Amino acid sequence: MATRGIDFAQLSLMEALDLAILIEEEAQERYEDFAGQMEQHRTPGAARFFRTMAVNEGRHGSALFDRRTELFGPAPRTVSSAGIFDVEAPDYDEARAFMTPRQAMESALRSEQKAHAFFTEALPGIQDADVKALFEELRDEEAEHEALVLAELAKLPPEPGFSEEEFVDPPAAQ
Amino acid sequence: MSATCEFQAKDYRSDLKPIWCPGCGDFSVVASIYRALAAIGRPPHEIAFVSGIGCSSRIPGYTTAYGFNSVHGRALPIAQGIKLSSPELLVLAAGGDGDGFSIGGGHIAHAIRRNMDLTYIVMDNQIYGLTKGQLSPTSQKGRITCTSHYGSLEAPVNPLLYVLAYGAGFVAQASPTDIAGMAAIIEEAIRYPGFAFVNIQSPCVTYGEEAQQIKGLKAISESLAALGHDSADRLAAMDLAQHYGSKLHLGVFYRDPDPAPTYGDLVRDRQALLSQGALPKERILDLFIKS
Ligand SMILES: Cc1ncc(C[n+]2csc(CCOP(=O)(O)OP(=O)(O)O)c2C)c(N)n1
Ligand code: SF4
Repeated sequence: MATRGIDFAQLSLMEALDLAILIEEEAQERYEDFAGQMEQHRTPGAARFFRTMAVNEGRHGSALFDRRTELFGPAPRTVSSAGIFDVEAPDYDEARAFMTPRQAMESALRSEQKAHAFFTEALPGIQDADVKALFEELRDEEAEHEALVLAELAKLPPEPGFSEEEFVDPPAAQ
Repeated sequence: MSATCEFQAKDYRSDLKPIWCPGCGDFSVVASIYRALAAIGRPPHEIAFVSGIGCSSRIPGYTTAYGFNSVHGRALPIAQGIKLSSPELLVLAAGGDGDGFSIGGGHIAHAIRRNMDLTYIVMDNQIYGLTKGQLSPTSQKGRITCTSHYGSLEAPVNPLLYVLAYGAGFVAQASPTDIAGMAAIIEEAIRYPGFAFVNIQSPCVTYGEEAQQIKGLKAISESLAALGHDSADRLAAMDLAQHYGSKLHLGVFYRDPDPAPTYGDLVRDRQALLSQGALPKERILDLFIKS
């Protein structure tokens, strides 16, 4: 989780909204990628969960976009996704072939925690009162998402108790 | 932040879905390339991306640049040809450690000594991924694979020392353990006016060893900037590069403070010189006709 070239102290409300939208877009895209990877590897349970996460992130992104449009119209973006790295998106390394739904949810949980930490850590450096209020709101939302994923995790039946390694053949000579 | 951003990372992402194994390090590499290109802001149609063959060599297809997933070990000759004939293009070459340092190893020296203005990115996973886990030139001694049941007897190639020894003007190392740092390094390499080499320790989650996964790499990684390394000092760079395999130094090993002219520049100068007083094309035959 990182950003590059973003000066939080100088962030305007429009830039902060654009940053938040780009963060949601990155997360949505990553969950869609993960869902696609799971489908490719015939792991429908994890794929379904990642698709749901993608839809949720897309919804958050659109809500932020509507807000931004209402306040600032079509003013061009000055924040670039070139400086946003896995803020709310699960790290690429989180995906594994044949993930169980529990593993998929645990990776989403870690991502929500990452995003929560990102807004928490950025807050002390923010000077603009409106940006501060927005970041506090986003931080609190991440805590809510964390709680939602935890609730989903609690509904899952216990894991069978063996690891997927037991089903994977060692690499064979070609 | 005040300038508008003409290009976002997603403008460089193609519709083709990567078929890499979930968790493969190459996902972070392509994501870093999207970001580096967005920061540079050249439109995709001004970029040519060439690769060889291997899992990592699929990478041009996942970008919106002109792409050529070419022949095993031949990314550099093709990239050099493209750069010479179309100097206005930003040219990237990429591939695996096998592609670059086994079958394609001979080409690196020549691209370097010509100082071709291109960026060469090697996704070094110390294994042949595509062909299912054979020894590669950067596999450690003793490594057990399907082609070395009793452990490899060969010492690995050191890609960093290799390119430094041939005189590359820009040499850096990155890893998905620090994706923001990786994007910054790729951007710097692309901006360097001459041959730039980036070795990326990109884990193979299917055939790689535990020590070469993100956690293992993090444990041995050290930032060159934090060590106070002076990237203008080639000998200091070579000294640090000797730790390849035991330490993961991240950052710029060497950046020539006074970049040499590129081969393209020299060729164009020579063409300009020789074309002075030369006959126009339509009178070329006159040279062969005795008056
Ligand atoms: C001329 C030729 N020889 C051998 C091969 C078989 N081959 C395909 S990819 C590859 C090596 C792949 O390893 P690497 O370049 O390290 O890339 P990775 O798949 O690990 O990303 C080999 C030997 C080939 N395609 N063409
Ligand atoms: S075999 Fe290894 S290098 Fe190839 S896609 Fe899978 S993880 Fe990546």
